[in-house]
Amino acid sequence: MTRIRNSIAAACLGLLATGAAVSAPGDAAAQDKKHKIFLSMSYIGNDWQAEASNMIKAMAAHPDMAGKVDLQVQVSGPNAQKQIQQINSMVQAGAEAIVVYPISPTALNQVVKNACGKGVVVIAYDAEISEPCAYNVSIDQEEAGRVTAEWLAEKMNGKGNIIAITGVPGTSVDTLRTKAAKAVFSKHPDMKIVAEAPGMWSQAVARTELSKILATQGWDRIDGLWMQVGCFTANQMQLEAGIPEDKLKPCAGEGSNGGRVQMLPAGTAVEGANGAYKPMGAPRISYASPPYSGALALKLAVKKLEGGEIARNTVLPLPVVTSETAKLCAEGTWTEMANGCNVFQPSIVSNPGWFASIFSAETPEVALQAALVGQPEAKK
Amino acid sequence: MSAQTLHHTPTRRGGGIGPALTRHRGILIALAVFIALFLTVDLISPGPFSYFEFSFMSGGGATLALAAMGQTVVVLTGGFDLSAGAVIALVNVVLGNGMGPDITSQILFGFVALGIGAAVGAVNGFLVAYLRMQPIVVTLSTMFIVQGITLLLMDKPGGAIAPEFMSFFVGDAIPGVLPAPVVWIAVAALVWTLIKSSRFGVGLYAVGGDEEAARAAGLATAWVKFRAYVVAGLFYGAAGAFISAQTGSADPLVGRSMLLPIFAAVALGGTVLGGGRGGAIGSIIGAYTLMIAVNILLVLNVSAYYSSVAEGTIIILAVLAGSLNRHSPLATYIRLGLLKLRARSNGTLARAHPGTPNRPLLPKARKMDMGVPASWLARHRDTLRFMVPAWIGLVLVLGVTHLVYGNTLTNPGYFNSLIVLSSFLIILALGQGAAILTGGLDLSVPWMITLVGIVVAGLVRGADDAVLWAVPLGLALGTGLGALNGVGIVLFGLPPIVMTLAMNGILQGAALVYSGGTPDGFASPAMRWVMTGHLLGVTPAVWLVGVFVIAAVVLLGRTTFGRRIYAVGNSPTVARLSGVGVGGTLIGVYALSGFCAALVGILLACFSGQASLGMGDEYLLPSIAVVVVGGALITGGRGHYLGMLGGVLLLMALSTLLAGTTLPSSVRDIIFGAVVLGAVLALRERSH
Repeated sequence: MTRIRNSIAAACLGLLATGAAVSAPGDAAAQDKKHKIFLSMSYIGNDWQAEASNMIKAMAAHPDMAGKVDLQVQVSGPNAQKQIQQINSMVQAGAEAIVVYPISPTALNQVVKNACGKGVVVIAYDAEISEPCAYNVSIDQEEAGRVTAEWLAEKMNGKGNIIAITGVPGTSVDTLRTKAAKAVFSKHPDMKIVAEAPGMWSQAVARTELSKILATQGWDRIDGLWMQVGCFTANQMQLEAGIPEDKLKPCAGEGSNGGRVQMLPAGTAVEGANGAYKPMGAPRISYASPPYSGALALKLAVKKLEGGEIARNTVLPLPVVTSETAKLCAEGTWTEMANGCNVFQPSIVSNPGWFASIFSAETPEVALQAALVGQPEAKK
Repeated sequence: MSAQTLHHTPTRRGGGIGPALTRHRGILIALAVFIALFLTVDLISPGPFSYFEFSFMSGGGATLALAAMGQTVVVLTGGFDLSAGAVIALVNVVLGNGMGPDITSQILFGFVALGIGAAVGAVNGFLVAYLRMQPIVVTLSTMFIVQGITLLLMDKPGGAIAPEFMSFFVGDAIPGVLPAPVVWIAVAALVWTLIKSSRFGVGLYAVGGDEEAARAAGLATAWVKFRAYVVAGLFYGAAGAFISAQTGSADPLVGRSMLLPIFAAVALGGTVLGGGRGGAIGSIIGAYTLMIAVNILLVLNVSAYYSSVAEGTIIILAVLAGSLNRHSPLATYIRLGLLKLRARSNGTLARAHPGTPNRPLLPKARKMDMGVPASWLARHRDTLRFMVPAWIGLVLVLGVTHLVYGNTLTNPGYFNSLIVLSSFLIILALGQGAAILTGGLDLSVPWMITLVGIVVAGLVRGADDAVLWAVPLGLALGTGLGALNGVGIVLFGLPPIVMTLAMNGILQGAALVYSGGTPDGFASPAMRWVMTGHLLGVTPAVWLVGVFVIAAVVLLGRTTFGRRIYAVGNSPTVARLSGVGVGGTLIGVYALSGFCAALVGILLACFSGQASLGMGDEYLLPSIAVVVVGGALITGGRGHYLGMLGGVLLLMALSTLLAGTTLPSSVRDIIFGAVVLGAVLALRERSH
């Protein structure tokens, strides 16, 4: 027994020794250059979060960044308490910067303030942190609500019945978008919201809620849709109800690739079209909280750590695509997107709910492959 | 729950250290597990354990600990309080909106926090204790109503908490030595100890252990239960005040995600759902164990997709560490198995003697002529009384819908949509209902649905001929994973809540890893036809639902398996002594629930055309709600599938009615809660 225990101990020691021998020089070199950066994600179980996380990983793996960044990704789940604890532990573990998708714009204020006090750069993406020492990278949510509502009002000539599918009630993003949109609709006395339901930013929920609404009011009483997520599904349901493609209702909504493909003129040749995931010339405006915001936040964090100056609030340009500006990409490289394409082949992106607003002039390191599988663009 | 009662070993009372150790074994082991985890974190993380770390760790778990302590008081009486998270959010929002900068206002709002908790608790307690309504239905309704009020008060995060209020709760009690949260948790623990040793405390355990016996012994059980909910509310109020101090602001959604961790903390701390055993000190340890898992994931650098898997595993291991000994279910099963083997080799196994009748021979029952046999109505009065309210509620909601929209009752399309939309919950109700009938719960439903949906859609990829093998494969996958839940519950004696919650996390990780974060499958035309096409005038799914309902009624009411479910739910011990294979039945029940969730995952993929991550999240609470609204008892043993069916249709008709309006979602939540409460008010047991 003692012998066995001794030999195990010896083996362990041996392992430790080799481990130390192998890693020691690497560590020493790394500590000279690499910045210790943590990513605190909230919830990872949906398309948007997974895509954003892929893009951040790709950014960290890009040849320009790989030598500068030691990125550790952690997920706290939807519980604010856990994210508070997580950010605190990251500070303890020696973080130089923390990139965070905040569960709540306010609940993290104290812990973020504390992190800032220890010289840690805290940068939030997509949602905001209201603590003044934090950096934020996001779109203007009120602009998103206003622009889409104005488009819908113009398409409907300022009159008719609207269905509104909102986001998650009680969040800043949903409240700001919905209030801004309603302010626009209220300027048109002939436009009326006849039904409103929370769609939780999910195509599956949007479908359920729309089905409930349609159980009591038919498509013939509806003239337009304002949805935070769900236009792809709404068009699919109209086709199932026997409405021809050229009679689809105008829909202001999300930037999913399925929705974008539907916006291409009917008959456009695409690879891998399937069911309602096909070009049909749908009258649409498509906007999104772009999933590249996390990758950009990481890039900005590194810039700040290297002594550069970054803006306290980076307001991203609202990615808006209408049926007139939708353009198919062949491969989805950054260069190709820089030339104006914004829709991807269904054969490459087989999930129609996948978010297509991945282009930023600021992030040539990441493009389609980054969003899909975490693979950065080749170094120029 | 049932597995625990089954293997519970009575502990001898008496003086000395030995018996005291035995009596507090649950807490001691929970504490040992926590210390082991804590040391792990401390050893791996760089640098010594500083006062700062002590301070933030004590503050980090305090809200959860306070809330879990409150929940424990209710659980000890055999109850269930779903309103905990909602009350915390309401307190947070009221404090964030109302508190002024002056000290009087801060003290006032400290008491307001406790007052709100106690008030909601009093409403819950009154309905549960004096109107004899089911705790889960009452607290589900108050949860919706309180959530609605919270959103009415504040529709997005904001507000501010006075700095003095914050440092009072999360600052330093003695700077550099003792953080304030430690003091508050100690105060809460002291309060609990005082409660436990009072008459009321003894009453809590007595009511939870056996309510009939407690009443027979002269205990005012209703008064004990009422106070349990009020005390729980006070704890939630304190938790709400604490989270306000910790975050310095208000967020109307802050409580939503706390519910599952609260129950996990209670179960980890050794309190048994169903009542009578455990205590709030264990729940404090449970809460801190859950929070320290965050640090463990960080120091081990667990990658994102695997974090929910790691967390689930930590929870299971923490509970397992406490249950593996010679009295553990696994040891019992091994001992019984060995006994059986020995009996077989000795030839003393009952089955080995076919000559001796192993059942008492009763004289053949003679047909009794006692006049008219009891009418069908009389024989089924009890069952009917529990399931009828849901159906009456449904008729009322249909009537209102007709009045509002004018075209409902005459419109076959409305009923078609209603049944198609209800199909998911109708199916889930069988699995969840069976688990609830045995006194358990299946919390792994959300990611079981999602995982199977993603796997099947990924295998089918739009090809009709692949459906023939992919769908059975998906159903088998769900059934197998469900059976695994059952095995964990039976063999390792894990509380169903802990096992299925951990399984949910593991399945989430599996779904993320399998799909790489972007599920890329889609349903075939035949699959989409099932949910959106036409067959003999209606959607094909409507026929499917019809067949399913008949099969479910037969399964629960007319088969041996169905009878065994009720037997286990009424009393696992009695069931075992009557020759029911309790373990096998439980495994079968969770396999059934896995099958149902898998079927829903496939149907959701058919409905939407593809499966998406998180698509099952919306179905957990409703799946429990419909079962209890339909008249099933959360502690097991009572309920009829047709009642659950009524529950599904009622809730779906109600949300369809509300979806067609432009009422804000806060008002909808309030209406939803009020209607459920009203419909079930008639459920209360008038006798006794």
